[in-house]
Amino acid sequence: MPADAVDRGGDLSRRDGTHLLVRAGDHACALPLAQVRRVVRALTVHPLPGAAGELEGLAEFGGEPLPVLNLARLVNAPQGANPAYPVTVVVWVGPAEAREMIGLSADAALEVVHVPADSIVAGDGGFLQGEAPVGGEVVRVLNLDALGREA
Amino acid sequence: MSVPHARGFLLLRRAGGVWGIASSDVEGMAVEDGGYRISAGGEAFFADSIVGVVADLRVHPPAPVLRRFWPETVAGLAVYERTPVVMVDPRYPPAILKLDD
Repeated sequence: MPADAVDRGGDLSRRDGTHLLVRAGDHACALPLAQVRRVVRALTVHPLPGAAGELEGLAEFGGEPLPVLNLARLVNAPQGANPAYPVTVVVWVGPAEAREMIGLSADAALEVVHVPADSIVAGDGGFLQGEAPVGGEVVRVLNLDALGREA
Repeated sequence: MSVPHARGFLLLRRAGGVWGIASSDVEGMAVEDGGYRISAGGEAFFADSIVGVVADLRVHPPAPVLRRFWPETVAGLAVYERTPVVMVDPRYPPAILKLDD
């Protein structure tokens, strides 16, 4: 195998582990970057009466209705300090054949990080893929595919 | 008001949100208790205010994630003037819209 093929394979592997780190309450969460469509200033959300606490409501994004979930509630994070620059992270969730776009409300977008697969300590096998050390902090690594398919 | 063959959608405001009902389902509307009583699909609904009637909306199927976290049955989702709209199936009205006689 040519050396450059090995390098490309390494790049691909690295890309697979690339995540967007966001703050959600007291937790830092890593979202697979390939599934992040955009990070925007917190969208105006219209609540849906009777919805579970995780569902903040509906927003408008790019002319389309967008369900917005509260990331801190999804990961059971204790409330953090009042966010100075809250964001909505627009992501794709669910399996490739049935993916959907949703918003995740978070307290802040922090940075893009690489989370090696072998550094992740397994989580619940669903939305919480596991935990991994990043920059001296343990972050929750999330599986957005599971969010779309969990019953 | 009776608009059995009307095109478009009646948009109403309730509990801070905007809701849509196909005009063809609307059987009547009357002022009541500081809001509006709307008859549609054999059910009675309450609206805080009427947004208007629009001829056309691009209605999206409800997202599976929405169904997972919200127990109500909805006909679809749309956007009107940058505001999300929940399209209502009058046969399965969300509890917040129901007007109990």
